Amino acid sequence: MSDAIHLERLHYRAGKNFEIPNLDLHVPSGSIYGFLGPNGSGKTTTIRLILGLLRPLSGRITVLGLSMPGQHAHVLGRVGYVPEQPHLDASLTVRELIDFQAAFYPRWDRTRAEELRQRFELDREHLFGRLSKGQKAKLMILLALAQRGDLLVLDEPTDGLDPVVRRDILSALITYVSERDATIFISSHLVHELERVCDWVAVMDDGRLITEAPMEKLKHGTKRLVVIGAPAEIVNPPFRVLTRESANGGGGENWVVGDWEPGMTSYFEGVGASVRDVIDLDLEDGFVELLRSFRGRTRR
Amino acid sequence: MTAMFRAVLSSQWKWSRLIVVFGTVAAFAIPLLSLQGAARADRGALQPQELLRAVQSWGTAYPLLATALGLLMAITAWAPDHRGRHIHALTLPLERWRYVLLRFGAGFALLAAPIAAVVIGSSLAALTATLPPGLQAYPIALAVRFALAVFVAYAVFFAVSAGTARTAGIILGIIAALILVQIVATIANLDVNLLSTAQTVLLLGPGPLAVFTGRWMLVDV
Repeated sequence: MSDAIHLERLHYRAGKNFEIPNLDLHVPSGSIYGFLGPNGSGKTTTIRLILGLLRPLSGRITVLGLSMPGQHAHVLGRVGYVPEQPHLDASLTVRELIDFQAAFYPRWDRTRAEELRQRFELDREHLFGRLSKGQKAKLMILLALAQRGDLLVLDEPTDGLDPVVRRDILSALITYVSERDATIFISSHLVHELERVCDWVAVMDDGRLITEAPMEKLKHGTKRLVVIGAPAEIVNPPFRVLTRESANGGGGENWVVGDWEPGMTSYFEGVGASVRDVIDLDLEDGFVELLRSFRGRTRR
Repeated sequence: MTAMFRAVLSSQWKWSRLIVVFGTVAAFAIPLLSLQGAARADRGALQPQELLRAVQSWGTAYPLLATALGLLMAITAWAPDHRGRHIHALTLPLERWRYVLLRFGAGFALLAAPIAAVVIGSSLAALTATLPPGLQAYPIALAVRFALAVFVAYAVFFAVSAGTARTAGIILGIIAALILVQIVATIANLDVNLLSTAQTVLLLGPGPLAVFTGRWMLVDV
């Protein structure tokens, strides 16, 4: 499977306080790729690098097989983008914004745009500045989808929206992907939301990629273990130890591990320990543990 | 490209239509007002000297109007993009220089209305006025000069307003540095006159701003 987005050894610095030191990212074509991270972790900066809005100090960015930012005009013709903050002019109406956008995209789908406008109940003559937050988000999604791009890049598209609008938007995205076999790159800090729709996920913190894996692997491979009698040092475990701490009340330790597979309890028997319990974690718990583990390591 | 230009023109019209309408009315009225003393039903025509003085005093309105139109049109061309931090423009699928060209072209296309109004207003004024012997009307020359002034003003302000705060800072810094050097040179009794030199370079022919200076006469000898 080829990559819709491929970042290789990307280095970017913004002032003294923020840096993306060495980022590798592979977004498979046709996937819905969730880009998770807390606020300020570098998600928006990475998206801006992908779209050629920022220039890296070094490294390579390939989007839909073309180099960025060198071939940005060709790439952007095939990419629908929804930024974190609506950036359109407040004095233009819904109709004027749709017409404006249509003029720039050769593959613009007028029928789809009209269909989405009606589905999202957007009044053609309403000024963009007078739309509610949810309506603005819907219009941004409409503009991105009607371009019929091969890649949609969505930066926190549902942040701060009510559940009904969120559902409308996610449903429109899923329909789009199923019809066009497009790729969606969606950043968010709303973990539950991505859990429902994404098949790949990456987690970023402090400008660094913590993990990048298929959703199923991340969800089912991250477990909380209750371990009895584990030695202080363990050598070459077949899983990743994210966190390890004493259990409250009673002996044993709580471990959070990644890349876990069912047969791996035998590893503990080999080091004279035993696993009393294996607890499933949902994506949010896994996400939090990954962040804790990463921050613990970087602090050390 | 035509569809893109139409889209940019349409948004530019929405942002600047009041400027265009007022500018067009003013551009049409100034030539007519400047020649209102040429001949009246209730009294005889003005003497040549009086008429030339009246036309000359109205003449300052043309470069002022051209500058105002250029400035306001340039501001409206970029203000929405500045407010949106240029994200929309930068994510459109075309080279950035093309987008700048589209914005510039759309603004200048709209400025054609006040330019046409000067052509029509000054031609009408020249046709309807009874000029004293020895004086001639120059409506086309005046309109061409006005068009050039509008273009120069728009181009200068468009370039400045397209820039970032850093660019504006650099321009202001250069001006401040010139003034500072001039003050130091004056205190040190050095025979340096940077400001006068800058003024000469910019305002006297073939300086880029020379079009704004001199007499703007619809009627002359």
